[in-house]
Amino acid sequence: MRRKKLTPLIFIVLAAAGSLTAVLVSDTSPQLGLDLQGGVSVVLQPTEAASDEALSQAREIIRSRVDALGVAEPEIVRQGDSIVVQLPGVKNQQRAIELVGDTAELRFRPVLLMIPGSLDDLSSTTTTATGETTTTVAGATTTTATGATTTSAPVSGQSAVGGATPYQDPSSTTTTAVGATTTTTAAAGEPAPAIELTPREDDVPEATVLLEEVDADGQAVNTYQLGPAGATGRIVKTARAELDQSGQWGVALEIKGGDGIDTFNALAAECFSKAQTCPTGQLAIVLDSEVQSAPNIQQPSFEADQIQISGSFTESEAKDLALVLRYGSLPVTLEAQTVQTVSPTLGEDSLRAGLAAGLLGLALVCLYMILYYRALGVVVVLGLCVWSSLLYAIISKLGVALSLAGVTGIVVSVGVTVDSYVVYFERLKDELRAGRTLRSSTERAFTRAFRTILAADISSFIGAALLFTLTVGPVRGFAFFLGISTILDVVVAWFFTRPMVGLLASSRVFTNAPRLGVARGLDASRTPVASPAGAGR
Amino acid sequence: MTSPVQERRSIFTRLYHGETQIRFVRSFKKWAVVSGIVIVIGLLSLWQRGLNLGIDFEGGVVWEVPAGDVSVTDAQDAMEAEGLEGLSVQTLTADGETRLRVKAEPLDTVAEAQGITDKLAELTGSEANDVSLNSVGPSWGEEISRKALRALVFFLIAITIYITFRFELRMAIPTLVALIHDVLVTVGVYSLAGFEVTPATVIAILTILGFSIYDGIVVFDKVDENTKLVGTGNSMSYSDMVDLSLNQVLMRSLNTSITALLPVASLLILGSFILGATTLQEFALALLIGLFAGAYSSIFIASPLLALLKEREPRYRELKARLAGRQSAVRTPAAVATTAVGDDDAVTTSAGPAPALSGRAIPPRPRKKGRKR
Repeated sequence: MRRKKLTPLIFIVLAAAGSLTAVLVSDTSPQLGLDLQGGVSVVLQPTEAASDEALSQAREIIRSRVDALGVAEPEIVRQGDSIVVQLPGVKNQQRAIELVGDTAELRFRPVLLMIPGSLDDLSSTTTTATGETTTTVAGATTTTATGATTTSAPVSGQSAVGGATPYQDPSSTTTTAVGATTTTTAAAGEPAPAIELTPREDDVPEATVLLEEVDADGQAVNTYQLGPAGATGRIVKTARAELDQSGQWGVALEIKGGDGIDTFNALAAECFSKAQTCPTGQLAIVLDSEVQSAPNIQQPSFEADQIQISGSFTESEAKDLALVLRYGSLPVTLEAQTVQTVSPTLGEDSLRAGLAAGLLGLALVCLYMILYYRALGVVVVLGLCVWSSLLYAIISKLGVALSLAGVTGIVVSVGVTVDSYVVYFERLKDELRAGRTLRSSTERAFTRAFRTILAADISSFIGAALLFTLTVGPVRGFAFFLGISTILDVVVAWFFTRPMVGLLASSRVFTNAPRLGVARGLDASRTPVASPAGAGR
Repeated sequence: MTSPVQERRSIFTRLYHGETQIRFVRSFKKWAVVSGIVIVIGLLSLWQRGLNLGIDFEGGVVWEVPAGDVSVTDAQDAMEAEGLEGLSVQTLTADGETRLRVKAEPLDTVAEAQGITDKLAELTGSEANDVSLNSVGPSWGEEISRKALRALVFFLIAITIYITFRFELRMAIPTLVALIHDVLVTVGVYSLAGFEVTPATVIAILTILGFSIYDGIVVFDKVDENTKLVGTGNSMSYSDMVDLSLNQVLMRSLNTSITALLPVASLLILGSFILGATTLQEFALALLIGLFAGAYSSIFIASPLLALLKEREPRYRELKARLAGRQSAVRTPAAVATTAVGDDDAVTTSAGPAPALSGRAIPPRPRKKGRKR
């Protein structure tokens, strides 16, 4: 029977030690929140009522913008109709704030030039060995060895460009010296123009821009040179993804009547006829400086409600495009309701304060318990060790950001956890006073005390759950960590405390030690257990 | 709890053994009056002065930056020149470093706030990234306040339902009363002292409520258990039983309060020492007062109220009457060796036995009202 009683104890100690080791070894540590790490937090709300879908799209837009900032663990979530953006550890806080709040616009731009792949593929360096032939693309640098041949070609476009070459081909020059190695440079007298994508600030409707189309993984599919925007998303009435007769996914686009369709047809005419302004015949759909799609225009003019965009779309690609078009018709203007920046030093200070205080608090509590309950106090210390290892492992695994309020929640729950020990030990005292021996009381007392502990922990948990659902911001973090710690308290009480105290009680050494023994701690020796009680008994 | 040391020692020993015989239920009216006065003062202050709401509830902008060599007056002048409204500039010192804290009313755009950030950085010779900014729009602040209040109300309702379910309605009502009492006391303190109300305050109040509930459950659990002792066989009325239960759990209650307080206190002391934030210090004081109010309300308000409510039930009412009638006719053994301190609700030292758990023992009876002075 002894062994059976010890099983839960062994189980939980192993669990605690195991999970702690696992977490330490795998180098996982609790994700730190903004106020402990420094960073930026912005809460955005739409200025007018916006649909659910539009808000989700807005969130996606912000997400792709934030990706460019290189933040380690950005968090962009929707809470009701607000979008909460948290960027812990972001380097340039000012830029981040500007970036996040901008309204994204959908634009239709004619495609001037299409380059497969990304710009990086373009500006590669090739070294040619003797006797080899290399074909280089414009702008590339080639080092040619003696006797080698290099052919430079202009940037290949979709089709032969009739007449206009708006794109400045930086032609590369190859110089081959007899017996010497040469490095090629750009056209004599001119430095090679740096080819870069147009930055967001410069992406204005009137400008000619160079933008990318990316796939779902963020890899560049094509790079486009685009002319000034002929129309914005406001001409769009709606769009939806649908299957056409051949079983292919496509997007049905509906343009608003009147000015809307006129503008669109003007663009269509240009592209269909492959005019100078739209030499490739493609019309790009651009959202937030990213090309979403660049279909070929196959008719000179369209009916407002009979525009089909087809291509080798998968279902999700078609649906995404339709969503983008719908969003474009009524883009959401977001207003920053709260902006919070925390400097890294302040974050570090807060973390230090929280940790130091937490540890000090734990130490004080343990000291008090040992002073008051003697050997039983040791159970508290050990129990707290088990409890904190489990808590640490869980928090690290869960990956929920720990804020200062969260630390407060944990500290409060230390109090709650220790309270459950007090309840149990006092109950033990009661049993002893009633005349039982220590050994026989532990089980009884625990069963009785556990009811109280459970009731109290349940109320704590109800409170935490309620708060979590009803509030935003720091109080939410507080509630979350309080809730988790409360559950752990119940687990530890059941699996650890009960067998542990039983173990101590059945050991004569521990029970009867003069100053530190359990009995002394519960004041069992002093209490007149069997003495006459005087009048009334 | 604030009695001089000598008296305390003897009370302490008795506390330790659960042998105190304080008559809580009897003195309920007195404590209710004390609480009532405290709450009324708080409410008056609330009405007249209102609450000092932080920017999270009211909206506003706060910047914090290492002060460098800039003095408060310089900073104030510089900020006034920017045309900030509702301006307040203070310094915080912590860990050897001085920080400037500038507070103002909400600005129209985020860009304006960032402009001030740059100015402050320039002024103090720091980087823009070293400036901490917290800007809250007024409508957002209102929404947060609403949500916080709503959460509080729902919390109270949920707890009441749970206690009704776990124990009974007559226990849930006193708990609710105690909780409302705690909230009012804490809010009153905040209003009187002019502390800033921030989300940290909300957390403090919730912590206080949490512990008050915990305390309450510990007491009511004991009362629940002792209910079977009530009856003519033991000559115990419901009120007597409640008194007994309270005396038995007094030490437990104190202990839970102490263990709850220690970690929180260290968080606040160390925290404010390292961070130097006045907010944490205010939070500390509020939490201390609140926890004390919580412990006090579970014992002096909730339980006596429970007894009073229960004794409206016919069976308990009759029992009390019967016992009172019997009492005045018979001299009680407990009349031997009682030392009163002159008050009706004094702690009586008795030669009788300690209150015991077993149903066999008859606990020493507190002096009845029927006894003529």
